[in-house]
Amino acid sequence: MRAVRVLLWLAGAALCARLLLAAKDEHHRPAGLTYLSTDKALLHYTVALLAITVGLVVWDRRPESLTGPLLTAASFAYVLSELDPLFHRSRLGLAVALVASPLVIALFAHVFLAYPTGRLGSRLERGFVASIYAFELAVALVYLLYYDPGSYVVGGIRVDCPQCGKAPLTNVGWHDLTGAGRVRDGLTIAVIAVAAVLVAAKLVRAAPGPRRVLLPFGLAALVLAAHGAVVFGLDLAGSSTDFWTSSTVFWSETVAVLAIPVALAAGVLWSRSSRSAVADLVVELEHSPPGSVRAALARTLGDPSLELGLWLPERRAFVDGDGRALELPAAGSGRAVTVLGPEDAPIAALVHDPALLEQRSLLDAAGAAARFALENERLQAELRLQLGEARSSRARIVRAGDEERRRLERDLHDGAQQRLLGLGLALQLARARLGTEADGAAELLAEAEAELRAALDELRELARGIHPAVLTEQGLSAALRSLAARSPVPVTIAEAPEGRLPGPVEAAAYFLVSEALANVAKYARASSVRVNVVRVDERVLVDVDDDGTGGADPSRGSGLRGLADRVHALDGELALESRPGHGTHLHAELPCA
Amino acid sequence: MRVAIADDAAVLREGLARVLADAGVEVAAQAGTADELLERVDTLSPDVVVLDIRMPPTWSDEGFTAAEEIRRRHPEMGVLLLSQYVDAEYALRLLERDDGRIGYLLKERMLDVGDLVAALERVAAGETVVDPALVAELLDRTRADNPLDRLTAREREVLALMAEGLTDRGIAERLFVTPNTVETHIRHIIAKLDLPVTPTDNRRVRAVLAYLHSR
Repeated sequence: MRAVRVLLWLAGAALCARLLLAAKDEHHRPAGLTYLSTDKALLHYTVALLAITVGLVVWDRRPESLTGPLLTAASFAYVLSELDPLFHRSRLGLAVALVASPLVIALFAHVFLAYPTGRLGSRLERGFVASIYAFELAVALVYLLYYDPGSYVVGGIRVDCPQCGKAPLTNVGWHDLTGAGRVRDGLTIAVIAVAAVLVAAKLVRAAPGPRRVLLPFGLAALVLAAHGAVVFGLDLAGSSTDFWTSSTVFWSETVAVLAIPVALAAGVLWSRSSRSAVADLVVELEHSPPGSVRAALARTLGDPSLELGLWLPERRAFVDGDGRALELPAAGSGRAVTVLGPEDAPIAALVHDPALLEQRSLLDAAGAAARFALENERLQAELRLQLGEARSSRARIVRAGDEERRRLERDLHDGAQQRLLGLGLALQLARARLGTEADGAAELLAEAEAELRAALDELRELARGIHPAVLTEQGLSAALRSLAARSPVPVTIAEAPEGRLPGPVEAAAYFLVSEALANVAKYARASSVRVNVVRVDERVLVDVDDDGTGGADPSRGSGLRGLADRVHALDGELALESRPGHGTHLHAELPCA
Repeated sequence: MRVAIADDAAVLREGLARVLADAGVEVAAQAGTADELLERVDTLSPDVVVLDIRMPPTWSDEGFTAAEEIRRRHPEMGVLLLSQYVDAEYALRLLERDDGRIGYLLKERMLDVGDLVAALERVAAGETVVDPALVAELLDRTRADNPLDRLTAREREVLALMAEGLTDRGIAERLFVTPNTVETHIRHIIAKLDLPVTPTDNRRVRAVLAYLHSR
């Protein structure tokens, strides 16, 4: 492909040289017409060759973008269109010029609107550019059929040139195309105006970073558009001022065409200066907390809309910083995607403004610089996800355990207790029926009843220990008072939430206080305990403080460990402070949305 | 005396009906659900309704709700609620209304038919009946600075019986003393504990329970 570009450049250079020579040769021009001075002609074709060269260089450097080929084609069309005044005696030269001349407008509009990717973004742009091509090709066809180079018109004056050729396709002469030329001029001005508006809109909408890159090329487009509109406006007005005769128009066109390579160079220079932004990024990532890579990249790339997707191999999906799945936008959605890392094992994906693609090297450099930070962030996202899963599974286990306890308690009350009561009633009836003649049997029955009552008492206590019905039915406050009432060490309940809380929170708080009070009774040798349960915002704080001997070992006994598990399952925290001689203080915080 | 019984366990319902019948209490109706009970009660007008707190469909406090409904529809009817466990909060909620004719007992009290019939008679007579187990639990609460320590043993006994809902006369009979002696004890208790002075009815039970519970 590079050989093709080299050949094209050689062709472009030869063409410019040939035109330069032709411009100096009076033989090539209709009699009575003045052409550019040698200096101006040299400048003009140097600038034209520069435009071709820049098109080819962009093509070479950014093969993935259509900008290079389009710019090359537009520059060639620009140069070829000049075959008309200089080679109008050659039918081939004239035909090429008549096709190239209208295409210049379409190709430049295309390259400016498609910058930087070389692909047109919206359906509006595609339709617009397609209709320009259709219009300009129609113009070319009309000229091929009817253009009469024998009556060359300059400044409204027809210059007869009998030795000049005739319309290339029909070989006729003496057609007056002034009317068609006016229509063409008017429509072309309209096309240029619309294209300029679309380019300006693109500049306004772009994110700040990409805008800085788009701006030089966009401004060059607007300069060229302004120049083009003036030239076609002059032609429409029938003015004698044109490129060949007016120094002003010549300089205006030279500046407008020169602006294109200058703008591209400025864009490249800006890309180079953004290397220092990458250096800043490296330093910033060094010191930034996890989770801030997206913001740092967005700053470096100048695209606040940048989205970061971290690749989770287990899920085979990209997730954002919060672990939510990130759908990559489809092609043509107005957003571009850059995947970092190898294709089969990506690290992350950047979803960004498509204009950033013009800064491929900046994107690659920033991606490489952020690679370790991203790898780190990805591992953390993975870890967070697993942690979340572990926590929710633990919460499910605790919930299932509570559910089971409640069921067991209900079964004891509604099953075993009912049966024992039924049995007791039967015993009572039997005793009444026996009367006195049963020879001690009544006493035996009374003993059995006493046993039964003891069994019922134990059953009730057992059921309460498994899961207090009062907690299920009346909530934490009532259940805590009931706990306090049964504690052998005097308990003060400073505060307890009166409303109902979520079941797992009530159960955790209840069992915490229950276990703490049991420990106080067993080990603390305390004279009083203070229980305080308050809801503060979205947390429930549980405190159990005794005035006992302290020195409790948190690792002692499975009771407290089980409680810690229960608290952690709710994503809460548990702390035990028990310095010898300072009592024991249990503090728990339970999230309670 | 005519009673209606509601309990979702047929074995208990039948057993209780037979025990009560043996003790000379007429069982006018039996029901397995709260709705069924409400329907029977409207037509049969028993003196007292005996019902379990836990009943279908959720086995939480359907009996409680049914009791409130019965008292609303038939203020003259006594209600005796049986519970698998006793709890001061429940008791105080039950006693919120001032008109007595209410009882709250552990379910296993049905195993002592004499006590059960006595409770039924007291409820029918307009008194309030509170389970001794609940009163004992409230009285046994330990406190660093326990005002109950200021009471004599006899006064404690009287206080417990007040909390169980007994009238002065009832207390006198239970303790084999004269009503005058009971009145003296009660005056001392009220003074020592700074209890509100209330007429001898349901309100006194509530005041005593509330005092013991909040202490």
